[in-house]
Amino acid sequence: MRSAASFRGGWLAAGIGLLLLFPLSSPDVFFLDVFTTGFLLAAFAASWDVVGGVSGQITLGHALPFGAAAYACALLTTLAGWPLPLAVAAAVLLAAAVGAGIGALSAPLAGPFVALLTLALGEIAHEAAVGHTFFSGPGGYAWGGEGGIPVALPWRDASPFSSYYAALAFLCLASFGMLRFSRSGAGLILRAVAGSPITAQASGVPIARFKRLAFTVGSAFAGAAGAGFVLHVGRATATDLSLELSFQAATFAAVGGRGTIVGPVVVALVLHVLFQGLSLPPSARVLLYALTLLVTLRFFPGGVVGTARDLALRLGGKDGAQPPRLRGRNKPGKGTP
Amino acid sequence: MNTLLTADGITKSFGATQVLSGITLSVAPGEPVGLFGPNGSGKTTLVNILSGLLLPDAGTVRFDGKEITRLPLDARYRLGIARTFQIPHPYPALSVREAVRVALDAGKRKEGSATREDEEGPTEDLLARTGLFNQRFVPCAKLSQGCLRRLEFARTLACRPKLLILDEVFSALSAADEGDLMALLRAVNRDEGTAFLLVSHNPPLLKSLCRRILVLEEGRIVRERIV
Repeated sequence: MRSAASFRGGWLAAGIGLLLLFPLSSPDVFFLDVFTTGFLLAAFAASWDVVGGVSGQITLGHALPFGAAAYACALLTTLAGWPLPLAVAAAVLLAAAVGAGIGALSAPLAGPFVALLTLALGEIAHEAAVGHTFFSGPGGYAWGGEGGIPVALPWRDASPFSSYYAALAFLCLASFGMLRFSRSGAGLILRAVAGSPITAQASGVPIARFKRLAFTVGSAFAGAAGAGFVLHVGRATATDLSLELSFQAATFAAVGGRGTIVGPVVVALVLHVLFQGLSLPPSARVLLYALTLLVTLRFFPGGVVGTARDLALRLGGKDGAQPPRLRGRNKPGKGTP
Repeated sequence: MNTLLTADGITKSFGATQVLSGITLSVAPGEPVGLFGPNGSGKTTLVNILSGLLLPDAGTVRFDGKEITRLPLDARYRLGIARTFQIPHPYPALSVREAVRVALDAGKRKEGSATREDEEGPTEDLLARTGLFNQRFVPCAKLSQGCLRRLEFARTLACRPKLLILDEVFSALSAADEGDLMALLRAVNRDEGTAFLLVSHNPPLLKSLCRRILVLEEGRIVRERIV
């Protein structure tokens, strides 16, 4: 099993190595931009997985914390004149607070009702962003609505290389953080809540508190991705709050393997680069995402990582009864029933 | 008599159907009590109210001198009331060891901090005690009925309960599993002074394990028998 972990680690290291080397091959700036956006979307998909995969709270409004952070960055820098680092920190905190609020509202709900509530909240925010305009003081012209709000960046024309590497570093750090969280004691409890809320509660787990925690942590990472995205594109728009974005994150997680964090990251990056790189029109992309999701749900319900894991267990002749890693004592029990 | 759990005047209706009518009962510390009754007599509803899964329409529940009528299931677990379910609901994606660790972790939270290493010993001791040590890495979804019952026991014992509420925990078990779990229950009662309220359809089993048996019929306790 340790060799399996090393094998997985080896693949990940090789993937990151290739991504580090990619800009050195003098690619088209368009592809660098596609990858940069892909890294941020992948982090966003992983943040959905913290809520929808690890914790089992299917959210269809995950674009809300992403977009809230994007808008906060734009408003705080452009209208309030805040320094960028402070605005980003405030945006991430706002996203976490939004997540805590959604978690509190959805705590008494289960299953499809959580999905419906989050869908409704996301759509309310999206419609508000589309319909609302902000007036700049000195200029007197309107921002917001369909055109969105620009971010006041302290740099002009950032190099695509620096954006690429900054986004890649963010993805690696955010994924590491989310992976650590999902494997922590709190993550274990969240997986228990996802598997059987009633047994978890009968084991002393305060369900509502842990649901809030899942939404708060997932939304904080979504907000960080949203802030990164708005710094990259330079403008917060209503698309950052759209249902399509939430649906994309859920699709990436389902296809990658819910609750695995790494699966959604890899699938988000691959599908985004593939579909954007082919310059497919948005309608074709939505169709392909939906098709990928349907095929996965029908034939590979565990997603890419789940299916690969099952395959590895089957090929290795193991039924899961062996230890992933032995720690502490290895004494015999009283016998198996 | 010193009492651990007291239920007073518990009444519960679902729509027009009255399921429990003014149930009053008590359990002393360390006392093994049985609850017997035909299907539909209200046993599971009573267990759900005592464990915090349901709120009564009227009546109060007290535990260790505190009123806990409105306290939810998880808070009662942390106080020392642990229950099993008639049909176990395992965590499909968790291994047996992880499932036990969830209960241990939730129990430890009330006492303060506990590191992962602190929990290795208690987890493995519980697994050995319930005969699940060799199954510790098996996903809960792949367990047999007997192992699921053993896991229910491990989960309830994780909080070092003062009172166990066991709902048909011996049903659909092999003779070997039943014997092992009965021995475990006796040991927990004798060695740790844990009281239990055992719900069962099986009078000989109740007689062999309990000192007092309450008979529930149509939502009322109609008889009490000292064994």
